[in-house]
Amino acid sequence: MWSGDEERNFEKVLDYYNRNHPGVILENLGAVDDPKTVRAIVAGAPPDLCTLVDPSAVGTLAANNALEPLDDRFRASGLKESDETPAAIGQGRYRGHLYAIPYLMDCCALLYNKDVFRSAGLDPNRPPRTIEEMEADCRRITKRDAQGHLTRIGLRPIEVGDAVMIAMYGGTFVDENGGRTTITADAPRNTEAVAAYMHLMDTQGGYTAVNEFTSGFGNNAGSFNPLFHGDVGMTISGEWLPYWAYRYSPTTHYDVAPLPYPAKHPELTGTVWLTDNLFCIPSGAHHPREAWDFLAWTQSPEAQRMFASSLNNVPNTRDELHDPTLRAGAPWRHYYGRFLDLAESPTASYFPPMPVATLYQNQIGNAFDSVGYGKKQPADALRAVRVRVQQEMDKYRP
Amino acid sequence: MASVMGSREARRERRSIITGLLFISPWLVGFLIFTLYPVIASAYLSFTDYRVLAPPRWVGLGNYRDLFADHDYFWPSLGDTAFMFLELPLSLVLGLVLALLLDQKLRGIAVYRTILYLPSIVPAVASAMLWLFVLNPEHGLVNAGLHALHVPGPPWLASPAWAKPAMILMDLWGAGGGMVIYLAALQGVPTALYEAAALDGANAWQRLRFVTLPSISPVIFFNLIMGVIGTFQYFTQTFIMTSGGPNNSTLFYALYLYQNAFQYFRMGTACAMAWILFLLTMVATLIVFKTSARWVYYEGEAR
Repeated sequence: MWSGDEERNFEKVLDYYNRNHPGVILENLGAVDDPKTVRAIVAGAPPDLCTLVDPSAVGTLAANNALEPLDDRFRASGLKESDETPAAIGQGRYRGHLYAIPYLMDCCALLYNKDVFRSAGLDPNRPPRTIEEMEADCRRITKRDAQGHLTRIGLRPIEVGDAVMIAMYGGTFVDENGGRTTITADAPRNTEAVAAYMHLMDTQGGYTAVNEFTSGFGNNAGSFNPLFHGDVGMTISGEWLPYWAYRYSPTTHYDVAPLPYPAKHPELTGTVWLTDNLFCIPSGAHHPREAWDFLAWTQSPEAQRMFASSLNNVPNTRDELHDPTLRAGAPWRHYYGRFLDLAESPTASYFPPMPVATLYQNQIGNAFDSVGYGKKQPADALRAVRVRVQQEMDKYRP
Repeated sequence: MASVMGSREARRERRSIITGLLFISPWLVGFLIFTLYPVIASAYLSFTDYRVLAPPRWVGLGNYRDLFADHDYFWPSLGDTAFMFLELPLSLVLGLVLALLLDQKLRGIAVYRTILYLPSIVPAVASAMLWLFVLNPEHGLVNAGLHALHVPGPPWLASPAWAKPAMILMDLWGAGGGMVIYLAALQGVPTALYEAAALDGANAWQRLRFVTLPSISPVIFFNLIMGVIGTFQYFTQTFIMTSGGPNNSTLFYALYLYQNAFQYFRMGTACAMAWILFLLTMVATLIVFKTSARWVYYEGEAR
């Protein structure tokens, strides 16, 4: 799953495990993506352990019995669910059974550029708390040139997936009650979320104009990252950004805040969007016991610390989130630490594992697009999503 | 007259057939395993609900029915691919015009030919990444040039209306490939025909229309067939550059097929799509073949 520097860091952790657990050798087969793993499973030659590049795949694999259920092993190892962040362990669960174990996760929150705020006349120490406040800030931050083209906008369109906007609004994706998985794409809250997003885009020039403006943005991992460069005032991004700020643009002043909530739903305060890195054991693995021993070890404090400090992702165990060593040292670690604080939030959200997760997320993105380009109304677009995804979902009988 | 083969000749004949088969057996085995078997398997799978990780379940024409009823993705993806057929006459004409221009005995003509040919050998992925930059609405070269001419530059790949024309533009950059083939064909036109036409008083345009084009019509025919097949399978550029966006304006048929197969785990649907594409390509090719008799002249044929 990892490549380049991150792969080297990942392998260092594996080497440490290999050295300290004689009799077991973990071999990292690099540059494997999910379709390759699927093919290996189908061909009857699965790896003993695999990571999932896209955690959405866990639902599909689980629904097709391609993964070993891990509940018994989890209990037998003495691991406790309460040690884990609820949103972390939830992403490994499908229909009540545990199929994957998280080892670190990504946490997405709101990052904002203080200098941009200052130049727009906003208080740089007061990020927007509600979506309405964010809209007002966007209106102030948006700037155009003499020809009327946008030169700066408030909020960058959500890169990590439009589903985050639905989560910010407290929308739901599925209803698992009653034994049948019901897709709730067009629930009223979701429709409001889409409408709110379009409204926000309108305050900074409209969906089309914003997309044209953002297509000219530089690489995220570089000094032309639009947040560092001042092209946008706010972006929804993850715990990797403080490290990139330190590497590519150390003079930028920024801070981290929880995702805004709609003013009429203050119970959603503190929302963040979490995406796990998942380990799973494919069915038919030849050494499931040894594989599980490694998975159990990844939940130990030393493993979490090693992974987190080398890969700069967020730990998934509650204890490690409070580890002071992760927050000490370089100044950027202070901002990274803000993500650790937010990851434990009770209102943290994630995309529910299900067999049609990839299709569902694609469809949500398409729905936002079709509303943004004026082709459909939010309710119609989301209803089309529900119909299509439900049709697929029903093909997976329990 | 008796034409019965003696038994010795029959044995020799059989042996030579077996020897021939043995010689091509590596290719034959590979063909059977890696080409023929998957093709037949995909035909079977197109009638099943196959989710890759579970055994296929027979559904008859269900996949086909679902596809034909899918007005949100299937028909628009076919429409997007059909739009790219606009590029076919453009690239044919452009290749031909370039070849005619460069079919002269000037000094350094080989340099010009090479320069014009180079774009078509750039790997598709590399050229896609390159054009992502060139077509960038803010910082790209195309819009910079347009701004210098005081023409507003369109948003290219960021706009549903301009994304497909942008891809056509990108493809025309590779017209050098066709140019080289036309150049070879132009060299093969007998000069005696040109002389005869000049003697009859034909001007340059008439020479082109009545001598050159008919003589190279087999090559035009070849490029047309290749272009038809290639357009139906258009995939790499959209996969790298736009992933079907914006707003599904570049969701070509082959890309939607790929998404079904490898992202949504709907392999049965993808197989059905593949066979529909195969049939469409066959029909289009047959049409081109059938009409070719009227405009393609092969040397040595009686008129």
